[in-house]
Amino acid sequence: MTAAIASSARALGVEIRTNAAVDKVIVRGGRATGAALANGDELTARVVMSAADPKRSFLQFVDQQHFPDEFVQAIRDFRVRGSSGKVNIALSGLPDFTCLPGEGPLHRGAISISPSIEYVERAYDDAKYGNFSRQPYMDIIIPSMIDRDMAPPGHHVMSCFVQYAPYDVEGGWDDAKKEAFGETVISTIEKYAPNIRQVIVGKQVITPQDIERIAGITGGNIFHGELLLHQLFFMRPAPQWADFRTPLPGYYFGAAGAHPGGGVMGAAGRMAATEILKDWQ
Amino acid sequence: MTNPDILIVGAGHNGLVAAAYLAKAGKKVLVLEQRATAGGQLAGATLASGATVPGLHPAGQLRPAIVKELDLARHGLTTSAADAPYVSALPDGGLLRLVSSANDTATIEAIRRLSPRDAGRWPEFVGFMNRAAAFLDAAYSTNMPRLPRIELRADGLPLASLALQLRRMGGKDMFRVMRSLSMSAVELTEEWFESETLNAAIAGVAIHGVTLGSMSAGTGFTLIHNWLNRGGLAHRTSTGGPQGLTEALVKAVLANGGEIRTGAGVAQILVEHQRVLGVRLESGEEIKASTVVSEADPRRTLLGLVGAPELPPEFVWQTQSIRMRGSVAKLIVRTDGRHGLPDGTVAIAPTLRYLERAYDSTKYGEMSQDPYLEVTTLGADVMVHFQFATYALRNADWGSMRPELEKRALDTLALHFPAFKGSIQSVQSITPVDLEQIVGPDRRRPQSRPADPRPDFLHAAVAGLVESPHPDRRPVSLRFGPAWRWRHQWHPGSQRGAPVAEGLAFCGLGGATRCEAKRHAAAARWPPPRPTTDSSRAPPASG
Repeated sequence: MTAAIASSARALGVEIRTNAAVDKVIVRGGRATGAALANGDELTARVVMSAADPKRSFLQFVDQQHFPDEFVQAIRDFRVRGSSGKVNIALSGLPDFTCLPGEGPLHRGAISISPSIEYVERAYDDAKYGNFSRQPYMDIIIPSMIDRDMAPPGHHVMSCFVQYAPYDVEGGWDDAKKEAFGETVISTIEKYAPNIRQVIVGKQVITPQDIERIAGITGGNIFHGELLLHQLFFMRPAPQWADFRTPLPGYYFGAAGAHPGGGVMGAAGRMAATEILKDWQ
Repeated sequence: MTNPDILIVGAGHNGLVAAAYLAKAGKKVLVLEQRATAGGQLAGATLASGATVPGLHPAGQLRPAIVKELDLARHGLTTSAADAPYVSALPDGGLLRLVSSANDTATIEAIRRLSPRDAGRWPEFVGFMNRAAAFLDAAYSTNMPRLPRIELRADGLPLASLALQLRRMGGKDMFRVMRSLSMSAVELTEEWFESETLNAAIAGVAIHGVTLGSMSAGTGFTLIHNWLNRGGLAHRTSTGGPQGLTEALVKAVLANGGEIRTGAGVAQILVEHQRVLGVRLESGEEIKASTVVSEADPRRTLLGLVGAPELPPEFVWQTQSIRMRGSVAKLIVRTDGRHGLPDGTVAIAPTLRYLERAYDSTKYGEMSQDPYLEVTTLGADVMVHFQFATYALRNADWGSMRPELEKRALDTLALHFPAFKGSIQSVQSITPVDLEQIVGPDRRRPQSRPADPRPDFLHAAVAGLVESPHPDRRPVSLRFGPAWRWRHQWHPGSQRGAPVAEGLAFCGLGGATRCEAKRHAAAARWPPPRPTTDSSRAPPASG
């Protein structure tokens, strides 16, 4: 999907520069006029749009003096607690689920570990008090069943979306805690697919802190900010600033932290582009 | 009374308020109360054990307009004490004493010891809460439309006026109110204050009476709701207490020519061809009237008193879906007076986690190990509100759990007030099952059916509707079901759930709240004009 969007953009004349981390948005005469990169390069443009999360976009890229106090406070109050982790597992064979033995349609679909309402609720209870779930809710897919190029023949990759793994886990995320979290995920899967340990050849554990480090998302929240009613629609990311414009002229905001929020849908980017074009004339 | 115009089922405060307004408008009103005394949850009660207890709630305040219009001061209602303190008992033995006033210097000093920043924000917080509560008050006085149908003049104008009132609060307050309603108490308080002690004290009021935790969405709304009803964080008791309120209302009903019959439990609301005919009492006596107003909770009224066979299937389903999870127990402790408790409303709500853990247990059918308590004193008597004591215990029943309930409540209090235990002379406890038996026994309930309605003080969890995934289940407009307002007229052929019966109305907590009864029961509008242009609203052809 990413490759297709990038190709489409390039075909339309867009240039994409990777390894070009933005340090600051350049502000001159009360307007955003470009971006200063971490490597010291400065780029000038008529419009700057941030697709980073609201905290980075408004509290890090731009000095707070360029925004009204109320706006800064609203962004500070914006809740971004990341609560999901990911465990990617490399397999030498398919997991054999006791509920549907053998290879079957479930290996091509979504596998959910959510046996009861109480199970899911107790998984959440752990997170409320700063722990990862002892018995987590999981949403598992095996993408190599669809895209055979993802793994050597006979091998597979299994991607486990795991809740809950709070960003600010009690005592912080260290290697031991990450290992314990990965082990919890595998032992949970083992209850449903007892052969899992025999087919594991490698695993990668990603916590919200890793998401923050890798993708640059504050709090490691995959939605760039929680999907709470009080920070949705005309209040996302802040009251009065849900139309992709910001209090800084020339600076636009169009990512999951904007209306209509997270999810791989591209709606925020499309609407932001439309609004930028409206202002262009 | 012969040939009453209107029968009111239930002599709780809402039944009495409706009766007084209707009687004042010249209608012949007969109130039927199953218990020996009027007052509903505000009346004292005799428990199964033979013990008598005072009313279930320490205080209550009718909306000022009702007090004025029914001239309740003349009927003996005393004004509430202002500046009542709300006291949070802290783990270190200290007390955080808060008066819900923007400029109470002792309160601001007490907060300053927790956080100077919070002390600076307190006046603004109190001001905001008062304005937010005033907006909620206006919403509570506005008749809610039977969505999606909106009659422009009857519904549209009051709604537009409400929206205008919200807009007039100014951008900052308007957004704050809108955001606060769906927030959790934790989210709301943490935007204002950094002191956990202060936030937990406030969050206690937010979860009071509901089966929700301080981290549950919608407890921002219940905080404002409870702030409105209390006039701040603390209960404001008046001399005579809640019984004084009942007495004044009873006098107002009688003075206006209404009649109240106690010991007259209604067994059935009689309906024929979707038209209310009257009621049948438990004694077998039938009383005819063209209009019946029920104050009982919606499930009991519709499924118990009217009966599912008389209702459209969709509406039965909606009624069954109303959340009424009761999770409150009460204790009344008689002491020798040396209980050591301070005046005012005392809360055991030391941390946000403490409140949340107290709530967690109720999700799994257990009673809180360390309960959230709210305590008020009346001389030597100590009234304890206990959360959470779920009605639906999973591995126990309330018969055997009563000693444990009392132990946990008294131990928790003794932890903070060492003198308390030594002062105890007697303890009466009211479990959720007792509560059901006191105020809402459904004697017609078949044995095979699950135990419902559950005793929910608010007659249907207030914020339970907020948490519903239904996009427009706002608590104010959709109290007891989409498309249902307090007054139910017959819609033959309506595609949406058709109403129960012409002539049946609600005035309990599950239906209209408080002052709607006053406005809509006004004589000028009774009986309501039936629009002839809209055939779907016309009454069925007689015969």
